[in-house]
Amino acid sequence: MRSIDLPLTGNVVAQQAAIEIRDLTLSFTAGTPTIDRVSLTVPHGQFLSIVGPSGCGKTTMLNLLAGLIHVPHSGTVRIQGREPRLGDHGIAYMLARDSLLPWRTALENAAYGMEVRGVAAERRRERARDLLVRVGLGGFEKSYPKQLSHGMRQRCALARTFALDSPILLMDEPFGALDAQTKLQLEELLVDLWQEERRTVVFITHDLGEAIAISDRVVVMGARPGRIVTDVEIPIKRPRSVRELQKDHVYHELYAHIWEMLEQGYKK
Amino acid sequence: MNASGAQGWKKLAMGFASHAGFLAVLLATWEWAARMGLLDPTFFGNPAGIISFLWANFVQGTHLWIELGWSVMSTLLAFISGSLAAVLTGLIFVIFPRLERFLDPYFSALNALPRIALAPLFILWFGLGIGSKIAMGFTLTFFIVLSSTVAGMRGINQDHIVLTDTLGASPRQKFFLVTLPGAIPVIFSGLRLGLIYALLGVIAGEILAAEHGLGQQLAYLASTFNMNGVMALLVVLAWLGMAATSGMTRLERHLLRWQ
Repeated sequence: MRSIDLPLTGNVVAQQAAIEIRDLTLSFTAGTPTIDRVSLTVPHGQFLSIVGPSGCGKTTMLNLLAGLIHVPHSGTVRIQGREPRLGDHGIAYMLARDSLLPWRTALENAAYGMEVRGVAAERRRERARDLLVRVGLGGFEKSYPKQLSHGMRQRCALARTFALDSPILLMDEPFGALDAQTKLQLEELLVDLWQEERRTVVFITHDLGEAIAISDRVVVMGARPGRIVTDVEIPIKRPRSVRELQKDHVYHELYAHIWEMLEQGYKK
Repeated sequence: MNASGAQGWKKLAMGFASHAGFLAVLLATWEWAARMGLLDPTFFGNPAGIISFLWANFVQGTHLWIELGWSVMSTLLAFISGSLAAVLTGLIFVIFPRLERFLDPYFSALNALPRIALAPLFILWFGLGIGSKIAMGFTLTFFIVLSSTVAGMRGINQDHIVLTDTLGASPRQKFFLVTLPGAIPVIFSGLRLGLIYALLGVIAGEILAAEHGLGQQLAYLASTFNMNGVMALLVVLAWLGMAATSGMTRLERHLLRWQ
């Protein structure tokens, strides 16, 4: 477990974190704050999951990082040393629903992010095609979203997200709406993609098992007020296979351990 | 019809034959009733006369083709100008919702006004040429396409907007990559109706006062009690309306093949 970072040595300051949240307090209405004194430092290249019940402010925090919401808050939020800004090219954002554009083919959807960000047509086609193959959609380049299954559509959305060269990925329960089998396959795919091209990931989920299986570090939040209940490094070595982990005893012990801390946290 | 080609063709031929049979019986009865004096040809015409009118004016002579051309051209001009103006106005309304709220009572009043009542005004303003009937078609097309444009652009999937915002899109990119293509299915249903209404406006304008066009011919034939001519033009107009609808359907199916 890590404690809150204090502004200590010059060393720490020089090694600027990918994401730095300090004493963040935020409320939409008067009364109990949605987020209460949360501090969180995410170093470059870390895969971090934030787990918590609905209403714990995890999505709010992610939207704040993405610059999607503007609510008065106290404390500081920095992404690569900058204020969060909507449309920051350093960030690739992935929603819970695939949000593919139905009038675009899978290839055009995979290239969409790059197109908006002005990547040259030739390069983005090449990169989108490469990513479609890597997410297992080779041969479906010309299919429209309505011709694809739920899982395939979310694969395409993953391709669109990874096709961007943003060093930070913000993911808001991207697999929340999938059935168990498909979900497992997509977690595996995400881990593979990430292990090939490391980025800083903040992954929001309400599924503790998912968080442990894919992350380097899991932050558990409690609701009302939204606070960090526990913050744990996951000592499972990389590269990992999400599928193999299902029968790994370390994984299950970790799950039981964090679950216990979680329950204690809720009782407080 | 793709899976069982022969079966499909057989079905189609059967359908065609049954319609041909039905029409033959209907027309024969009509002709017989007219000859027996049961149905006064002065008011109803008779099929033989209608067919010979069509033959004389569309096959032997080219006279009605030219009138048809006037009507088609006016309809297209009314449709294109009305739709373009409507899509642009809709866009302005979506960008400036306060302007829409302000103008709403005026637009509602204009839309509620029986548009045909504007015809005398348009005839005075634009004369008996092509201008006044285009104006008629325009006013009808405009409001239909406007409401569907606004509805289409308001109904854009918010996920697409959120995603596009996080990518850092400019307002221009957002419009051309998300808002416009996302609104097209709804705009299209307005356009399909708009084309039919453009035709309605043009024909109505021609009937009231015009130098050319099928509507003008229709009014002339009716006033001279040429019932076969009137009936023949009604057939032509029905065919024209159907051609317009099926053309739009085909275009829609091509443009919206992703649906």
